[in-house]
Amino acid sequence: MYRPKYQYMFLDIITPEKKLFSGEAELVKLPGSAGYFEVLTNHSPMISTLMEGKIKVKDVHGTISYFDIVGGVVEVLNNKIAVLVDSSAID
Amino acid sequence: MANLKEMRLRIVSVKSTQQVTRAMKMVSAAKLRKAQDAIIQIRPYAGKLHDILVNLIAQLGSADFENKYAEHKDTKRILIVAITSNRGLCGGFNSNVVKKVEELLLTNYDSYYKRGSVDILAIGKKGVDGLKAKNIQVTKTLHKLFEGLEYRSAEVVAQDLMNAFSDGEYDRIDLVYNQFKNAAVQKLVVEQFLPVEIMEKVMEDSETHHYFSDYILEPNVLEIMKTIIPKSLKIQFFKSILDSVASEHGARMTAMHKATDNASELIRDLHLQYNKARQSTITGEILEIVSGANALNG
Repeated sequence: MYRPKYQYMFLDIITPEKKLFSGEAELVKLPGSAGYFEVLTNHSPMISTLMEGKIKVKDVHGTISYFDIVGGVVEVLNNKIAVLVDSSAID
Repeated sequence: MANLKEMRLRIVSVKSTQQVTRAMKMVSAAKLRKAQDAIIQIRPYAGKLHDILVNLIAQLGSADFENKYAEHKDTKRILIVAITSNRGLCGGFNSNVVKKVEELLLTNYDSYYKRGSVDILAIGKKGVDGLKAKNIQVTKTLHKLFEGLEYRSAEVVAQDLMNAFSDGEYDRIDLVYNQFKNAAVQKLVVEQFLPVEIMEKVMEDSETHHYFSDYILEPNVLEIMKTIIPKSLKIQFFKSILDSVASEHGARMTAMHKATDNASELIRDLHLQYNKARQSTITGEILEIVSGANALNG
């Protein structure tokens, strides 16, 4: 199946109450249920559950930010990443 | 005829009432906007969760898998969750919920209610008051939920309900609340919370929607389902609460708008009466003076 190549991926980190992050990213590191894993551009489609831990995001300017989460689900599809977070530990 | 001073006082008092209702309307309008925003905020999360669910079920090919929240057992005990508000002055908002609960108890759940196997969880002080006035026993109350409402507190309540269901304490849990349509319209709904029926709904969606099912799944479909289904239940519960809160403010805004209009009408009538009375007093006085002068000139 042909999929266009992108330089960046579009990342959304959402809680039921607000969007924690929305924008382009270069690298995302997630606390998967089987351990931490990184998602880079043009990753194949996947769905994974997340454990308690930190999400590391490197955006297109190279700025790195962290989000503490207690659990959630991530969907990666066509360079769009949606992270559904139960609630963020930081308020 | 009432004397003039009394009427003046009456007009002043109606005017100050009108000021209060007008202020309450403004406050409700502001709160409504906030409540509406909260509903909008939840949409991306709820939407994505639904998409993932549809995709996963498409992957599974059927909704037949072990799910402790979907077991249709023989219904023995029922819990009705009545969502109202802590404050009044919002038209039929609270009484509609109370009436619906009463109706459910007397019709659908008639036989269960007679056996005493229907429990009621009332969220909102006004709901408790209304139910007590109808001699309906409220099993549990939860008023604090509305104070600084956030997802985390709603999540805890939803988890408690889910535990009560999976432990077999209740075999069916219904939500009765006002669904938010727009500022002026609320729709009273009875929603089956547990056992879940989302599966059936999702199945229908997955047949019509175009989906993508070639995912890498970590750890596996069933595990992911196990974490997603409780999430979607919690979201459903939280959404009901948010809907109810927005409806409450909408209902109060409408009620207060009507009250303000009524006060305007009342003031107009009173003014008319007052002016008539004043005029007739003056006419009387003039007549007295004229006839007095005539008598003197006689």
